[in-house]
Amino acid sequence: MNGKSMKKYFPIFVLPTMVAFTIGFIVPFAYGIFLSFCKFTTVTDWSWLGLRNYTRIFFVNGKLDTTFIHSLWYTALFTIVSMLIINVVSFAIAMLLTKGIKGTNLFRTVFFMPNLIGGIVLSYIWLMIFNAVLSSYSKTIISTQWYAFWGMIIVVCWQQIGYMMIIYVAGIQNVPGDLIEAAMIDGANSAQRLRYVIIPMLMPTISTCTFLTLTNGFKLFDQNLALTGGNPGKLSQLLALNIYDTMYGTTGWQGVGQAKAVIFFILVAVIAVAQNKLTTSKEVQ
Amino acid sequence: MKMRKAVSLALSAAMIASVFAMPASAEETGKVYYLNFKPEADQAWQDLAALYTEQTGVPVTVLTAASGQYNTTLQSEMAKSEMPTIFNVGNNDAANTWDNYTYDMSGTTLYDHLTDKSLVVSYNDKVSGVASFIECYGIIYNKTILEQYCAMDSAVVSSIDEINNFETLKAVAEDINSRVDEINDELGTFLTGAFASAGLDDGSSWRFSGHLAGLPLYYEFKDDGCDLVAGEGEIDGTYLDQYKAVWDMYVGTSSADPATLASGALNAEAEFGMGEAVFYQNGDWEYSAFTNPDNGYEVTGDDIGMMPIYFGVDDENEGLAVGTENYWAVNSQASEADIQASLDFLEWVITSDEGRDSVNNVMGLTAPYDTFEGDFATANLLARAANEYAAAGKTSVAWSFNATPNVDDWRADVVSALTAYTDGSGDWDAVKTAFVDGWANQWTLAHEE
Repeated sequence: MNGKSMKKYFPIFVLPTMVAFTIGFIVPFAYGIFLSFCKFTTVTDWSWLGLRNYTRIFFVNGKLDTTFIHSLWYTALFTIVSMLIINVVSFAIAMLLTKGIKGTNLFRTVFFMPNLIGGIVLSYIWLMIFNAVLSSYSKTIISTQWYAFWGMIIVVCWQQIGYMMIIYVAGIQNVPGDLIEAAMIDGANSAQRLRYVIIPMLMPTISTCTFLTLTNGFKLFDQNLALTGGNPGKLSQLLALNIYDTMYGTTGWQGVGQAKAVIFFILVAVIAVAQNKLTTSKEVQ
Repeated sequence: MKMRKAVSLALSAAMIASVFAMPASAEETGKVYYLNFKPEADQAWQDLAALYTEQTGVPVTVLTAASGQYNTTLQSEMAKSEMPTIFNVGNNDAANTWDNYTYDMSGTTLYDHLTDKSLVVSYNDKVSGVASFIECYGIIYNKTILEQYCAMDSAVVSSIDEINNFETLKAVAEDINSRVDEINDELGTFLTGAFASAGLDDGSSWRFSGHLAGLPLYYEFKDDGCDLVAGEGEIDGTYLDQYKAVWDMYVGTSSADPATLASGALNAEAEFGMGEAVFYQNGDWEYSAFTNPDNGYEVTGDDIGMMPIYFGVDDENEGLAVGTENYWAVNSQASEADIQASLDFLEWVITSDEGRDSVNNVMGLTAPYDTFEGDFATANLLARAANEYAAAGKTSVAWSFNATPNVDDWRADVVSALTAYTDGSGDWDAVKTAFVDGWANQWTLAHEE
């Protein structure tokens, strides 16, 4: 097909996807931003408020309200910690499982399995385990926000390490054998081979995995809801749960929830783009 | 060019066809769309709807929201063009949220049939909803074990009737709890404590941040002379000392570790059901759980009784707490015909034999309408207890917690302070602050324009 007919038929081929994308994403998204400036009971029954919803995120009854700010830094901390642990551990396991030790396939399957269980079910199971263990110390998973924090970290790591491991395994297997062989002939020891050959060759994989764990951390909802429900108080609410809680828990605050959701989107978008720029710049061609 | 003509012709044909395809019949007779609040009664409502359609030809759709998802479901259903014509309003807070959607029920037959005209939720000078069912709560007790205990020589009281005030109740609970092994040996019971555990997890904390908190609110509203279920914008927490005394009794006479109550510690219903506890604060809806053989509980319908939550304020006159969180509201934004059809359907439910039978025997609920008499009186023994207390001249306690502004937020703060107080990491003043200041704060928020 030459360029001219390409130009001519381009809209016809793009149209179905474009229509679906508009109906399923662009319209609700734009409408959502619009609603964040309104007071509404249902999405079709709104009245214009202007920026009131945005100021009410931070100021309630004339006083500074730190609930949202708290959940913001709590989420940020959670995301950083979970991203680091998941990537380091899954990379280590992937290295082990590409060494050709006996039972490699079995181990890969076992590590991957937690990922197949839904977040809610998984968290309820872990909730029972945590509380059974902690009850002998007269504590529960929601005794303080830090018990809740590490509880969620454990569950999320347990769930995601297997998934990231599979991606790392695929990446490691794609590192050309001749590169490693050449490094060995040059006298590089195993630490040097890891540092100067394998990791640089794996940068695309690392980009993917850090991107996934970063956005997963920010968007985490199921595990938060089922494991801690935001308790104690609202101290273990991550952003997504905080938004949900505002939307449905406070009378007439649907608009405020929506405004929080808009801020949430901007934040995740900025961080994801920045992270992507940062890691792709380190990729070798 | 030929192609384009054909396409535009087809499109216009489709447009014209869709204009004529409007269903004409439903416009005349109206239709009913009921968004049901009680998941356990879903099948009963589906059956009633099918029966009604068969008898009258009026289409009735019933959709049931998943447990805990009512508001979410209602919000999305109301945004559709086919919106619910009958929905549930739980309290004043919800009547506020849905003010633009509630039809004034004051002139309806349904309202006329109400035995107690205070069983409505009023907002903005109209009757926003009428009670669909009433429930009662208090302290459920194991009659059999308690009678055996009273027969013991060492018991604090010699008959259950003597337990008619807070001091005696507390003395009995403390005595049972402190001598649990001795009592088990003598009576052959399997008690682990007097009260079933007071779990502060999300599945149980409403018993204390809602129901128990209703008592200090009730007595304060009564003092102030305001509407007992609509409440007022600022409270003083006059009766919070009594609230603390009752709470301390629950925690102190139960086998659960106070530090682990936040996660629910033990399953209170099972503790009571298996005969491990004598007292359990909950409501008459537990009757079906205890009498359902599938649950495998030791207690039977004859074993259980209910007494008021003696609060140390007006114990001689206090009855069970009777009220509801289920009010039927009719959607004022539906068409004239649909509103009438919905009212007719609800009237049919409370007047026809099929409807009344379903409410009593299939759903197992107590309806506050004068049509439920004789053969249709409630089969729930705990619900009957409420009537017995009322007949004995006691005043039923209103469900004053229905006035709570921003229910979820207010309760969450109270529960969090109560948890800290109970596990020793906080003090009682924080509970007071969450209760009193939190109330005024949430009230302002909920009522601002």
